[in-house]
Amino acid sequence: MLKYVLKRILISVVTVLVILAVLFTMLHSMPGSPFNDEKITAVQRANLEAKYGLDKPLPVQFYNYLKAMLAGDFGISYVIQKNMPISELLRARIPVSIRIGIQSVLLGMVIGLILGIIAALKRNSFLDTFATVVSVIGVSFPSYVFAMAMSYFIGFRLGWLPLLYSTTDAARSTIMPTISLCMFSLATVARFARTEMVEVMGSDYMLLADSKGITTLRLLGVHGLRNALIPIITVLAPLTVELMTGSLVVEQIFAIPGIGSLLVSAIQFNDYNVVLAVIFIYSIMFISVMLIVDILYGIIDPRIRLAKEEKR
Amino acid sequence: MKVAKRWLPFLLIVCLLAGCAGAPEQAAAGGSAAAPQQSGSAPAAPAPDGAKVLNVGRMAELFDMDSTIATEADCLEVIEAIIEPLFVTAADGTPTPAMCESYEMNDDGTLYTFHIRSQANWMNGVPVTAHDFVYAWRRLVDPVTASEYSFMMEVAAVKNATACITGEKPLEDLGVRAEDDKTLVVELDRPVTYFLNLMAFPSFCPINEAYATEKGSEYALGADNLLCCGPFYMSAWDVGGNTYQIRKNPTYWDAENVKLDEINFQIIKDPQQTMLAYESGDLDYVRLSGDQIVKYETMDGFTRIEEGYLWYLSPNLNPKSPEYSTGLENENLRKAIALSYDKDAICFEILQDGSTPADFAIPNKLAIGPDGKDFRETTGTYLTTDKAKAKEYWETAKSELGVSEVNIELLYDDSDSTPLIAQFLQSEIENNLQGVHISLKAQPKKSRTQLMQDREYQLGLTRWGPDYADPMTYLDMWTTGSTYNYGEWSNEEYDKLIADANGALATDPAARWEALKKAEALVMEHAVILPVYQKGTAAMVRPGISGLAFFPVGVGTIYKDVDVTF
Repeated sequence: MLKYVLKRILISVVTVLVILAVLFTMLHSMPGSPFNDEKITAVQRANLEAKYGLDKPLPVQFYNYLKAMLAGDFGISYVIQKNMPISELLRARIPVSIRIGIQSVLLGMVIGLILGIIAALKRNSFLDTFATVVSVIGVSFPSYVFAMAMSYFIGFRLGWLPLLYSTTDAARSTIMPTISLCMFSLATVARFARTEMVEVMGSDYMLLADSKGITTLRLLGVHGLRNALIPIITVLAPLTVELMTGSLVVEQIFAIPGIGSLLVSAIQFNDYNVVLAVIFIYSIMFISVMLIVDILYGIIDPRIRLAKEEKR
Repeated sequence: MKVAKRWLPFLLIVCLLAGCAGAPEQAAAGGSAAAPQQSGSAPAAPAPDGAKVLNVGRMAELFDMDSTIATEADCLEVIEAIIEPLFVTAADGTPTPAMCESYEMNDDGTLYTFHIRSQANWMNGVPVTAHDFVYAWRRLVDPVTASEYSFMMEVAAVKNATACITGEKPLEDLGVRAEDDKTLVVELDRPVTYFLNLMAFPSFCPINEAYATEKGSEYALGADNLLCCGPFYMSAWDVGGNTYQIRKNPTYWDAENVKLDEINFQIIKDPQQTMLAYESGDLDYVRLSGDQIVKYETMDGFTRIEEGYLWYLSPNLNPKSPEYSTGLENENLRKAIALSYDKDAICFEILQDGSTPADFAIPNKLAIGPDGKDFRETTGTYLTTDKAKAKEYWETAKSELGVSEVNIELLYDDSDSTPLIAQFLQSEIENNLQGVHISLKAQPKKSRTQLMQDREYQLGLTRWGPDYADPMTYLDMWTTGSTYNYGEWSNEEYDKLIADANGALATDPAARWEALKKAEALVMEHAVILPVYQKGTAAMVRPGISGLAFFPVGVGTIYKDVDVTF
């Protein structure tokens, strides 16, 4: 198991490096530069490029970037907050993104599971239909539709919740963003949970367990849910991605100073270092989720781990 | 053991959720703790009851507050509000003394002596001196600063500006010096009639050397690292936050005439959300995006704003290689094209954003002449759409060129509504002029300007934004050898007019103004550029706000005179 985890971590590190190299090349070959004013003269451009080390050959620039990054220095922003160290920018912006991300994953998982299990237990009832409708809506509408609808009806018409994020009222102002972001995970988890629970409930071992006379709660929690969890964990990784991409737009709508809106601005203004740093963080998050999911498989279902070990 | 094993998966899921990013409690704490730490001296305390507060919506972050580096319109506005330059622009567009009490100019207009206000102080109690200007100006042209706006010093024709920017001469050679603490002397290479207008531009703001040196690379990063001397001071600006705030500066020399107590800026990038916030009363002054204008133009508070940007077609008159030769060197063909497209349709049907048809080379409300009137008020209109006349020009062009048809490639960039306009121009020209074939070539903006600067194009759709409030900001472009004379037009009479306006006539404003009018007429009569439209935009300004003026050039809005009655 340890060997397997170490190998996965090694692969992850290489993956991040490759992502960075590709992104670095792509960014620098994009038309335009951080200094986009068509009126600046050749001398000014040369001064600027020399100041930021952009006059050196690309491989040298990448080497310098990597060297600094490994020491924890992501460079400085060229545009968005000129000359501000990016680590400071990130430090200020990551917490709120994380907070909303975690809130929506938790909310989505919990409500999704509950909805899915109820649907499976009360198959073909009104509740089942309701859960299906919620799933279809949640999966098919992008998060910004919920965000805009909620901000119009709940924020603007009813005035129940703040329209814009505010640090002085952080708890209330994250409610709408959290709900709009969680809809996709909620729907996906509900759908998988229902399908799996229906299958698990009909299996022989459940019948056996049931016939032994254990309580319904124990039956569902220990025997049912555990087996139904495997496919749900599988979708955790894609859900995280969905959360990240969703946050790009949702953060814009609610004026949340997080890394999603930072990335959008950075791409818009060719702020190379900021784009690299944010994508780096996204990659790390995604890869860690994948890694943890893989390890989780092994714990929940030892057969998977065994199969992998046998292959080797 | 068995129990532990059973709960392990759930535990791991929790770890995963927390671990993919960090502990949530920490996150929440970090979020709120970061604010007071990074912001100014008194950010948390709300304004007292009865205080005059203005809430402004912004589309982008506050990029930079260092006056020698900032280029974005939003930043320039805030800098001007907290650090006062020698002059500020009055509501009618004329420069009025601000940080300088009085000034003298020598007879040929090449030497200015400014007397800094004796009672003007920085917020730390140190007097504002001529040395602060000398330091800031040198910093602006310093190759180490690598400012994108160092060219403003060249526009102002301050002695040795170019040589200092390229590093050929030491910064001490820049034509600015402090005679004593309160006397600033500026030497120019040539007389510049709009020099005082330029002095209202934030790039020329003072910076206290002792303070900036003490802060080092931290200078102007965050509210705690700014020293103010303007009507307001920066009271809050979180790193990476979505709000910033300025408050009335009690130590400002003219504090009694500053009406607002506090201005809160809220960054919202979504235009729809911006309008919801305006309608719900969270914001008092917001800019509208182009597609919102039709929807809100009847609402109370809707305000049209004319921008100084001119969009025009630039024909390549002097192609470097036959590949780019199209017949556009023929004046009648250029006029035929210029008169063929319906500018009203472009502005009022396609754009619908407040843009107006342009029958001129110098935009409306850009510059006020010595007669006190807008340049456009005393000049004619040119190249007005006239499809019948266009056909006549085309017939003449055909016989002069000895061809029956021409193929022209229209280069444009893929930003915003530009592709729609290019397609419309194509259909208008082709439908009106039988035998003129227009093909379309879209490029990212950066590549489009590069192609035009390299003269590797046939007909280009481009725009120009003014740098200062004088027709010269446009007319200078079409002189022989200018980088932005994309079409490589060359006309001796024109070059002489511009040279005179920059030299011999600089001390005779009325004669200079006439020369500029003549120069514009030449550009238009020879169809050197084919004007399309002047960009417009709009804002929502809550009724009850007064004193809010919009300028098409320089600093967009000046907050000192703004008052609210709600």
